[in-house]
Amino acid sequence: MRRQGAARLGERLRGLRRAPRGAWLLAGLAASLAGGLWVARAAQVSAELVRSDPEAIAQDAGLFEAGVARGRPVYLRRCASCHGAGGKGDRTLGAPDLTDRDWLYGHGRVSDIEKVIAHGIRAPDRRGWNLAVMPAYGQLVPSATERVPPLSPDEIAAVTDYLLVLEHRPADAAQAAAGARIYAGKGGCFDCHTPDAKGDPAIGAPNLTDRVWLYGDGGPTAIAYSITHGRQGLCPAWAGRLSPLRIREAALYVYALSHRAPRSKVR
Amino acid sequence: MTADPTISNIWDFSRVSVRRSLALMAAGAAVGLALAGYSLFTAQSTTTLFVPAEDVALVNQQPIARADYYAQLQASFRTDFAHTTPAQRRKVLEDMIREELFVQRGKELDVAAADPDVRSATVNAVEQMAAADAITAEPSDAKLRAYFHAHADKYEQEGVMTVRDMLFATAADGAAAARALRAGEPDAAVLARLRGRDSGKETGQDFYFAAKIHLGNELFDTAAALPSGGVSTPVPQADGVHVLHMLKNTAPQPIAFETARPQVLQDYRNERVRQATVQYQGFLRKRANLLVAKDLR
Repeated sequence: MRRQGAARLGERLRGLRRAPRGAWLLAGLAASLAGGLWVARAAQVSAELVRSDPEAIAQDAGLFEAGVARGRPVYLRRCASCHGAGGKGDRTLGAPDLTDRDWLYGHGRVSDIEKVIAHGIRAPDRRGWNLAVMPAYGQLVPSATERVPPLSPDEIAAVTDYLLVLEHRPADAAQAAAGARIYAGKGGCFDCHTPDAKGDPAIGAPNLTDRVWLYGDGGPTAIAYSITHGRQGLCPAWAGRLSPLRIREAALYVYALSHRAPRSKVR
Repeated sequence: MTADPTISNIWDFSRVSVRRSLALMAAGAAVGLALAGYSLFTAQSTTTLFVPAEDVALVNQQPIARADYYAQLQASFRTDFAHTTPAQRRKVLEDMIREELFVQRGKELDVAAADPDVRSATVNAVEQMAAADAITAEPSDAKLRAYFHAHADKYEQEGVMTVRDMLFATAADGAAAARALRAGEPDAAVLARLRGRDSGKETGQDFYFAAKIHLGNELFDTAAALPSGGVSTPVPQADGVHVLHMLKNTAPQPIAFETARPQVLQDYRNERVRQATVQYQGFLRKRANLLVAKDLR
């Protein structure tokens, strides 16, 4: 059986050898031409991707889809270890969910995402997002940069209750009232999270009223832990390690995790 | 009229043809030259006639990145590229070119040799570059756990105490107060009967570090050793005799790895950055031609 198969293969190969040399040459030229065209097209798409205004790409179906497809392997290699293959994040690490349109830094535009990928968050890159750190109020010196006093366990519990009340969750009303005073006064929480606790995307201070939690389950224990021990998550800066094209592609992929593809080409 | 047999025969692949060989060789050489020329003029780090797609300009072959240009445009006019005017775009580009020219001139003039701000910024930037590799390397779970166990003392929940510090005039009153408190007499009654007072150093729950500041080292050490409900022996000090009644004492508790994980990751990275910076400094010293004055060797 095997011998017959080998014989048939040999016969076919001999048949191919009998084909005129011109046919081989033409086939080779056609293959080279096709390969060249493919490379040229890929280079053209690459050039368009890096040349375009990042926000404009999000309106251009063809370019957007090409960028997203190319961005997936970049994301899986560089970002998925923290944010997960599906982009759902990891609350044990404080890696945000990238699929929910809740953006800590900036407003979720392609250019905002690109900036985070290129220059990072609290990474050693002066062009990154490095403005704020959540103080550890359960330490003698809560912050190395901000002059805020430590809070007592009772005060931390009160602020925790206040944050629960902001999300309409059950909490001790009297404690929450005391927590509100600490939030707006001694603790200085309002300075980053804003007086209405809606957060500030310019410095990555989370919205404390929306039930989206970066660390833990958002329960009283996890909230008190964050206040006591502070938080300062980090996202590496990839500028210099990834080309501008790869950074743009990864940004488009991350953008696509929470946005639908545009319907038509607008340009 | 008949076709030239030499020409008609060059595409007859069943025969050897010198002309065909030459023609194919010439075509191959032309393609090779074209590719080499294209690569030469578009590759980075060579003199190029074209601005690469990812840049908006080249200043003495030094690129101005398109991403930086868009970011600068957005920062300057608070709007995205599509909503800016040609004049605004030109202005930002001119500003960036000007900056690049001055930076290049600064390098030529070796500004860093004299200007302390430039020196400081340069040192900072190079340190950051050295640290960046350590930051981007993602440690495995096993490495993090090993680091956590090696530095377990760093990952403790701070102790918390609620203690009452009572002050009496004499050692005898202090001793009587301690006995009464141990017997279960209420604090207020003991204070009233023995004419003592609350020192006011402790009010409500406190972390250990705060209690230490409030009480001072001696009283804190005494307090930290007391169990919940415990009463200290009298502690004579300059202001009187102190008796501590520990209402609740929660000693420092180790934090589970899963809870401390973000902090462990951050500490691990910081340690890697520190090591990377030291190694980088060692590398620079090793390759440097360093001469130190005799009196400072």
